Amino acid sequence: MAQFFPKSANMIAMLSLILVVGVVGGGLGIVIGTSRTPDNTDQGIYKNQPVPFSHKHHVKGLGIDCRHCHFSVEESSFAGIPASKTCMSCHSQIWNEAPMLEPVRESYRDDKSIEWIRVHDLPDYVYFNHSIHVAKGIGCATCHGQVDEMPLMKKAQTLQMQWCMDCHWHPEMNLRPREEITNLNWQPPTDPEERVALAKQLAEEYNVQSKVNCSVCHR
Amino acid sequence: MSQTENKTAAMDLDAVRQKLASATGPRFWRSLEEVADTPEFQDTLKHEFPAGVDVFTESVGRRKFLSLMGASLALAGVTGCTRQPRELIMPYAAEPPEMIPGVPRHFATAMPFSGVGEPVLVESHENRPTKIEGNPEHPMSQGASGVFAQASILNMYDPDRLPTPKQRGRDSGWLAFRTEMRRQMAIARSKRGAGVRILTPTVGSPTLAAKLQQFTTELPEAKWVQWEPVNRDNLRAGAIAAFGRDLSVRYDLRRRRSCWRSIRTSSARTAPVRLP
Repeated sequence: MAQFFPKSANMIAMLSLILVVGVVGGGLGIVIGTSRTPDNTDQGIYKNQPVPFSHKHHVKGLGIDCRHCHFSVEESSFAGIPASKTCMSCHSQIWNEAPMLEPVRESYRDDKSIEWIRVHDLPDYVYFNHSIHVAKGIGCATCHGQVDEMPLMKKAQTLQMQWCMDCHWHPEMNLRPREEITNLNWQPPTDPEERVALAKQLAEEYNVQSKVNCSVCHR
Repeated sequence: MSQTENKTAAMDLDAVRQKLASATGPRFWRSLEEVADTPEFQDTLKHEFPAGVDVFTESVGRRKFLSLMGASLALAGVTGCTRQPRELIMPYAAEPPEMIPGVPRHFATAMPFSGVGEPVLVESHENRPTKIEGNPEHPMSQGASGVFAQASILNMYDPDRLPTPKQRGRDSGWLAFRTEMRRQMAIARSKRGAGVRILTPTVGSPTLAAKLQQFTTELPEAKWVQWEPVNRDNLRAGAIAAFGRDLSVRYDLRRRRSCWRSIRTSSARTAPVRLP
């Protein structure tokens, strides 16, 4: 029986090891890299809706508070999407002939839901509760961005776990007074010392803790 | 190697020498027989190490199983790399009053069971019941509930539950039911209810019982039958035998002492009026 492996096998073995590490590593790099692009996360991408509802017009233009429509944000996990009836409380009087609003009128007339496309979609294995975040002093704009500048809704953040954890490790600097929760233009104090002082004071006042246990979100 | 095998694998040393002399390059062998490589030696090898003896012959061997499992685990991870599917949010057209989406509501109600209304509290998420417990504010149960109340939530989502009325084994729908019912009742009325049978479980509701009684009075030929697969007929017969009247059992635990064993009967545990 002839010798099974020629001398060159040593080189081939070495090269194939390097190749495997390279391919696996490179592949992982590509996957991790692309998973962070807006192509995958939809961050900053406007989505077409059955009714082109403009937050910019209603919030900035008319000054309607977030909670007028997202009424359950302070007491439920779900912030609440307004019923067609809520829209109709104004739009039965104004723009009540606008063809753009026909799906709303149709929904109210036939008692059928408007099918909004979900923009902020957490995976189903994530438990998220709006009310606790609001109660602890996290403002709407912290996660949803300058909604009053959005003619159509888009995701301001990636909503990826890394982004959640950035805040969950050190929530203090993202806190604001509860009165300013729905104020989309609230800015923390510009003076760094004042800012840290406010963060500390709010964290203590609202009893804010860093919650990083897996089961906090993955129940 | 045994002696017999030695014989069968007998070799020709000259042939071995010849082979070695003509060989070129490095060569390895474990025995002179291997060098000789006679047909006899091949034959011995075949018997000594039959092909496939080290392979598990079941359809899915251990190795195959492990590699399949490994592959499926690895592929299960790959599903995490897909994009999120498009999801819809469908709010109410008009919100029901007192409804906060995402916060369960609790309804105090009664569960008809063996002719008794059991006081229960039903947890409801967006009008879908999910859990049944005893009503803590009701004196009969004081928040306790039995196995049947706990399990009754499964009836709600039982895939065998009829979703629509059926006629001769086929789904017919409520409109067809009402039309057919009116037609049949018109015929039955002309015959004073002859041929009409109403089958119900034990009816504990005074209103429903009164209605059914009214029905059978108006149509004297019609019959109302109450039937349950697991019922209290024996308890009732026992009460009549003992007291001469139709009585039902009420446990008075204030005067317990030595009676604890005797009331641990199945009826005390499972009957509608029972020890919680």
